[in-house]
Amino acid sequence: MHKKHSIPRETTSVIFLILLFVGVGLINASFLTVDNIILSLNSSVIYTVVAIGIAFVIITGEIDVSVGATLGMTAAVCGSMVRDGNVGMGIFWALLLGLFIGLINGFGIAILRIPSIIMTLGTNGIVRGLIYVYTDGKWIENIPLKFKALSQVRLFGSFTWFYFLTLLAVVLMHLFMTKSQVGRYFKAVGDNPNGANLLGIPVSGTKIIAFMLSGLFAAIGGIMYVSRVGFITPIAGIGYEMKVIAACVLGGISLTGGVGSLMGATIGAAIMASISRVLVFLGFPSDYDNTITGILLIVIVVFDAVFQANLAEKMRRQRLAAKIVHTQSVALEEAPDHE
Amino acid sequence: MNKHELFKEKVLKWESSLVLLLLVEVLVFGLINPKFLIPRVLFGSINNFMTICIVSIFVTFVLITGGIDIQAGSIVGLTSIFIGVLWNDVGVNLYIACIFGLLLGVLCGALSGFFVAYTGVQPMVVTLGGSFLYSGLALIITNFSSTEAYKGISGFPQEFTQFVKGKIFGVIPNQLVIFIILVIFTYFLLHRTIYGREVFLCGVNKNAAEYSGVKTKMVIMSTYALSGLGAALAGILLTAYLGTAKTDLGKEITLPVITAVVLGGTSNLGGTGGVIGTALAALVIGILRFGLSMAGVNTQYLDIPVGVLLVISVAIRFAGSNPNIQKNLQKFKRRFSRKRKQIV
Repeated sequence: MHKKHSIPRETTSVIFLILLFVGVGLINASFLTVDNIILSLNSSVIYTVVAIGIAFVIITGEIDVSVGATLGMTAAVCGSMVRDGNVGMGIFWALLLGLFIGLINGFGIAILRIPSIIMTLGTNGIVRGLIYVYTDGKWIENIPLKFKALSQVRLFGSFTWFYFLTLLAVVLMHLFMTKSQVGRYFKAVGDNPNGANLLGIPVSGTKIIAFMLSGLFAAIGGIMYVSRVGFITPIAGIGYEMKVIAACVLGGISLTGGVGSLMGATIGAAIMASISRVLVFLGFPSDYDNTITGILLIVIVVFDAVFQANLAEKMRRQRLAAKIVHTQSVALEEAPDHE
Repeated sequence: MNKHELFKEKVLKWESSLVLLLLVEVLVFGLINPKFLIPRVLFGSINNFMTICIVSIFVTFVLITGGIDIQAGSIVGLTSIFIGVLWNDVGVNLYIACIFGLLLGVLCGALSGFFVAYTGVQPMVVTLGGSFLYSGLALIITNFSSTEAYKGISGFPQEFTQFVKGKIFGVIPNQLVIFIILVIFTYFLLHRTIYGREVFLCGVNKNAAEYSGVKTKMVIMSTYALSGLGAALAGILLTAYLGTAKTDLGKEITLPVITAVVLGGTSNLGGTGGVIGTALAALVIGILRFGLSMAGVNTQYLDIPVGVLLVISVAIRFAGSNPNIQKNLQKFKRRFSRKRKQIV
């Protein structure tokens, strides 16, 4: 009933993304060209990948602030191995490491019942420290040109194949989340963990899988980081967790869990990546980047919250009114019988 | 009397274990490096993590209402550069600039608090937005300064910087005295006033608080304003201590602050906690970092032990009180015994 009446939360984000491009395009026409739109989307690839992982966690009602460190760590591991010529091993170990960090997070949160923000803050610190241990505080450079060129390969002359791959992952994961039985557990757990438990859904297992997916996608983001950026500093990926959470929120995923979709996360990531480009096209210095991001985040979220609250209130009134009319009509029908 | 006993049982227990942890730390690090025990060194180290201590005792209020504040760090930087620019480029008296800085901190906190309390958006999202916004504003403010942003504004008058660097009897730093005064002040505010009880009630059950006549929205908003005030205060002290006003001063304190608050016994779900615990936990973390670096551990590795400490201490606390763990254990035992029967 609720679903039928309310407008999907992603629409607000899509409208906003379109407004952003059209609005800036009115001021500077070169922003609204196909080339620029493609470039903007291409540059959002790492945000998007990490955002789909973390979306699983947020939809189950938890939070993961360790993705930035995970991305940095996997990038360092992958980068150092690729530099030494072991591309396959680098990718393999990076993915395994991402899964492992996710497993530890999931274990602490689902089994030991540590609040997720605390647990992932802890692992964030630990993993960030381990990056320094692993790299000895040095930069990882001299990534082979061939590996770096991978990120520049474009399919059909437009999107990079990284972006296509990411979109494919979004579609597959979206189908997994909405169509498969296990996939639907995530929303159920996020919406009402106790209810899910009573229905026989393995709540702890679902949460662990969500965190492992978050780690895995952060690792994929790390591998892409190696290829796109080409060098890894010990502070690689710092601040990504906040940007990605912001992307999810912009895409209509509620931090209380149970609401939102991966499509939303993708759109949110595109918005996040576009903002810094918008500033360039409007002629602002990049100093304004954070200010605009902050204002947008607050405005969109507050607008959305007020809008949804109004909608819910209106629906509640409609339901009440319908109930009153219904009971009155029932009373009228029943009245003659009593006589 | 009964209330007093309950307080002793629930709060002081955890706090006494923190005191124990603090003593163990001092002892162990003293054994590793005897220089650590020299009072001048030990107390002097406190200056290095005073920002975290001060911010965390104010952020405790927010967590007790069931919220979270990850914007305090950016308010520290914003205040710092704000007073720097006011003094250096606008020409306002430094102490008046500090008062404006405090007002700005309160305003920033109250703005986020307003959105949290009155629109029902999750605190994490609002303060995330706030952290972007205020760190961005700090960068914009530097544009009004004639000094390059990365250099920071320096050249503050002697008495401003000397007061913060000063020591009572040549041993106890003034910053520690300020911190203790703040702890006493916040302790009375939180545990001994009606306002403090309202803060707790908002965290325990917001609806019940609302129905019993507490203006929950005002109370929740005020906790964010308080946390902004604390961050601004920390920003001013840090500026004076370092002698430079910079935008990125409080950039990396979010993690340690939340760690300190939670390690201090405040639940992030709201309703329980206290200022004393937070203050002790902040000292535990600070001494741990300082002691390890004195023991020769690379300063860049220090996040590892802090993270481990956080996870383990919270795991122990939750394992003891959470029935779910015991349920799991029982389930495990039952499953185990069933398997054994099958084998037999």
